[in-house]
Amino acid sequence: MMDDKKSGDPLTSILPPRSALRWRRLLITCLIVVPLLGLLAFGFTRDARYISSPLIGQRAPDLTVRLFNGDEINLGQLRGKVVFLNFWASWCLPCRTEARELEAAWRSLKDKDVIFLGIDIQDREEDAKAFLREFHVTYPNGRDLSGKVAVEYGVWGVPETFIIDPTGTITYKHVGTPGNEIISVKIQEARTGLVTAKEGKGSYQPIR
Amino acid sequence: MGRRLIPAVIFMLFAANAAAQQQDLEEQVQKIASELRCPVCQNLSTGDSPSELAQEMRQMILSQLQEGKTPEEIKAYFVSKYGQWVLLAPTPQGFNLVLWILPFVASGAGVVLVLFTIRRRAKNKRKHDPTTPSELPFEVALKPTRASLSEEQLKLSAELEELDFDFHSGRLSEADYRELRKEIEARAVEVRKKADSLAPSPSQAPISAPPIPPARKAREVRPATGRKNWQLVSGGLFLLLFGITLGVFLSNSLRPRESTQDTLTGDFLTGTGPGGVAASSKSELDSFLAQGRSAFERHDWPQAIEAFKKTLAIDPNHPEAHTYMGFILTQAGHPDGALLAFDRALSINPDFPAALWGKGMLLYRVKEDFSGARQTLEKLVRIMPTGPERNEVQKTILELSQLAGKEQESGSKTEANRQSSVLVGGVISIDPKLKTQVDGPAVLFIIARSASSSGGPPLAVRRIDQPKFPVSYSLGPENVMIPGTTFSGKVSIVARLDKDGNPTTREPGNLTGEYKKNPVEVGAEKIDIVLDQVM
Repeated sequence: MMDDKKSGDPLTSILPPRSALRWRRLLITCLIVVPLLGLLAFGFTRDARYISSPLIGQRAPDLTVRLFNGDEINLGQLRGKVVFLNFWASWCLPCRTEARELEAAWRSLKDKDVIFLGIDIQDREEDAKAFLREFHVTYPNGRDLSGKVAVEYGVWGVPETFIIDPTGTITYKHVGTPGNEIISVKIQEARTGLVTAKEGKGSYQPIR
Repeated sequence: MGRRLIPAVIFMLFAANAAAQQQDLEEQVQKIASELRCPVCQNLSTGDSPSELAQEMRQMILSQLQEGKTPEEIKAYFVSKYGQWVLLAPTPQGFNLVLWILPFVASGAGVVLVLFTIRRRAKNKRKHDPTTPSELPFEVALKPTRASLSEEQLKLSAELEELDFDFHSGRLSEADYRELRKEIEARAVEVRKKADSLAPSPSQAPISAPPIPPARKAREVRPATGRKNWQLVSGGLFLLLFGITLGVFLSNSLRPRESTQDTLTGDFLTGTGPGGVAASSKSELDSFLAQGRSAFERHDWPQAIEAFKKTLAIDPNHPEAHTYMGFILTQAGHPDGALLAFDRALSINPDFPAALWGKGMLLYRVKEDFSGARQTLEKLVRIMPTGPERNEVQKTILELSQLAGKEQESGSKTEANRQSSVLVGGVISIDPKLKTQVDGPAVLFIIARSASSSGGPPLAVRRIDQPKFPVSYSLGPENVMIPGTTFSGKVSIVARLDKDGNPTTREPGNLTGEYKKNPVEVGAEKIDIVLDQVM
């Protein structure tokens, strides 16, 4: 047993200073609580709805869509060009905001080595056509009839944009409205095959 | 009879087999779907989700099964599209193993801790209870002798020592320690009293009871059980109140979601908005709307925005509030936001006159989308009653149709002009005194702003990575910020050497310079700039 057995009086046995005990307890509590709070705080900084895509830097999944003008387009045919692949829907408000910008960007870029391709998902044909008319869209657009293309590209929000370089690799993904600057910068980067691992994010709407 | 039955049995077997196969396939689809997360609902499995995407995914699972793929292959396919996120149960590999093991480890540790505590409590209690017959003979308890008392005192001091030891070695919490110690002290005082009554002179006592300072004695002799009951009762009351609060308030505040972005509690937790306990009434909505209108008339934009925001918080589908927001945003120079606001109003009520007017004028004046403006305004004219206002709109439409005609004539011409013209060109160099400031990679921005307007985005920006000075440059149509903008009049040219390559931030240490004779005429050459200022 301990030395203080000899002191005879158990009640006056030596106690460690109270403050020291309190400090030790505080320290242990902090060691448990602080990391947990840190984890919680980290969780709050993240968008819980956001789904990071594993497709960036990968070969773009093959796709064939029938365009609104009746032609059929296959991604393989577009090798050698930068492809600006945009998923949209007529019921999506952010798609309305970006529509004018995309059309303007297309008009300034269309004679170069870039092709814009819009894919309408989860939509009715007449609504989609009205949308294209309203925003005077002139770049090729098609509908994903089966919903398979959307899953192939892991689409979960609209608008969603993939930029594919001339060799067929996805170099960039943007969820939501990209804005002018990003469109031109990322297309320029795709020309050189530069991959941006971090996805861009604008205002988006979950798909249905 | 038996022979006639055979074909029927075979047929039935075959049919049953096919049906069973079909059922089997459906079960398999359901099983795989239940292990995948739905990207729309996110908290439901693909099997449970009613969303369009989940239906498509189930269809894909079915067709892949029919192709002869195994469930693992199908799941791997979805993982390759949506990432590990799509699996409801993360794979037990790498860091994910922590998720699988930690709960078991934690509950195991919890069980051990509880068992340990119970055992030590039970042990202490058995030892400390002086009335336990096995510990103290009946007659001793009834008629204490001096010998038995001194024995008990010895026992008490031994106990106290053990207690101290346990505490110092960390096997007892401080609260437990204090409580047990108090008990022992109380008993020590009792034993001492008894000893005193047996032997009037304290000197005759063989072992003196632990000396306790009188003040402390008075405080600590209090029965421990009284305090415990009080604590128990208040704890119980607290739990009861807590439960009632949760049950009543939380269930009141929940409501069905109106859209996917809606929350389950509305804005109950923040005390605003619809659906919560403080559900706002129609009259409140009207008062906010009136406030907003009068603030709008007064041109008090911040207050108007505040009021219309509150209106929209009560009724997110209020076309008038959206329209006013659109007008305010137009005023503030945010045409895109304004257009969205007008579109929202029109998606709720396609014939809302003010929104049609706002959208039409915005397309006409700001966006210069003349045909779009005309369509919108024509729609407005169709629903407007006759009067001076209608005439006004008709006049605008007439203007627009003239403009549209002109644009078609001149459209191709201006296009050609823009393609060939160079905005400005020249050479950029660094002031020799500042050469030392340049270290490491940097990005040179050459920025052209319209001389007539001070705010807003620049007309054109050119970016040159890791420039080698002196740099010769030219700004052309490809550097235009907003595609479709034409250059005319005078522009001012500024150059900036940015250290982090982000044009929107301005760090100290960046070098800037501007053309000495700003503004310049479009098309000018030899616009040479010297970087001579440090930010």
